[in-house]
Amino acid sequence: MPASSFREGAREGFRAFLPLSVGLIPWALVTGMAMISTGFTPAQAMGMNVIVFAGTAQLGTLPLIGIGAPLWLIVVTALALNLRFVIFSAAVAQGFRGIGTPTRWFAGHLLTDGVFACCLEKMLKVEDPRWRLGYYLAPSVWSWLLWQSFALIGVFAAGSIPKHWSLEFMATIALLMLLVPLARQRPMLVAALSSGATAIALRGMPLRLGLIVAIVVGILAGFAAEHWHAKGEAQ
Amino acid sequence: MSAEAGLWLSFILIGLATTLPRASFIVLGNRVRLPSVVQRALRYAPAAALAAIVAPDVLVVGADFAPLNPKLAGVVAAVAAATFSRNPWLPFIAGMTVLLGLRAMGG
Repeated sequence: MPASSFREGAREGFRAFLPLSVGLIPWALVTGMAMISTGFTPAQAMGMNVIVFAGTAQLGTLPLIGIGAPLWLIVVTALALNLRFVIFSAAVAQGFRGIGTPTRWFAGHLLTDGVFACCLEKMLKVEDPRWRLGYYLAPSVWSWLLWQSFALIGVFAAGSIPKHWSLEFMATIALLMLLVPLARQRPMLVAALSSGATAIALRGMPLRLGLIVAIVVGILAGFAAEHWHAKGEAQ
Repeated sequence: MSAEAGLWLSFILIGLATTLPRASFIVLGNRVRLPSVVQRALRYAPAAALAAIVAPDVLVVGADFAPLNPKLAGVVAAVAAATFSRNPWLPFIAGMTVLLGLRAMGG
């Protein structure tokens, strides 16, 4: 196995993820500003940013911290917001075959929605574990750097970026750019449509549990569509 | 416990509540194998999760289902840009331009 396969994988992973990573920037800026408006000092804000490293969990728990909610409620909310990562972790786990446990912890800590969606397919297909590790870690470390840098800018820019610029819409566009190529396959499209409709129908559920139900419904719908599709081909 | 210490404790616990779900199956790896049916079903997780996050964001305004809004127009522009061009930045430019343009016009 060539020693450079890690770097080859890293280069390819970085190239695949770079355009999508732009979506992290508004999230990081918004999160940095939100932590300051919750009343954190810059040191506390960056402390949370480094320890947690998760936009959804950070933005989701800030209002609770702000009103002095009990610690257990804050932690349960964070867990609910992060349940999707159990699904992602299980889906990508096979991509870490042949890789040691400490590295797996490091990789697990860095798992994000964008990197998962971008890297999953090749992580499962490619044989060379060094190539796979590079392909996963390059976008992950890049995400970490972007997240910390732009949250820091957000922390210090809090108050001077006009809210009506709606920078957070760039994050929505980034998520869509991940979704569009996936949805070209019929069962994936079915999964996305069912999940999206369920999420809208259940938007009133507490702790964003509707999101988790929607993901499960989408997975089941996609799986069912795959079976019907296969049956249709066989006949 | 001081308020400062309580805050840092909450950061650490939120951090654990994030890293443990993320690392769960990546670390357990071969010790816990999911059945292959479950693994195949999980291939639909990214599309389902992305749609579940994006759909309410784009189609719900306040608490109401309101599909005809500037965000949807921005999304249509971004998807069109992604379909007809290979430039990776164009969807962001198109989507933001349409959204801010419509908002400026009072749409």
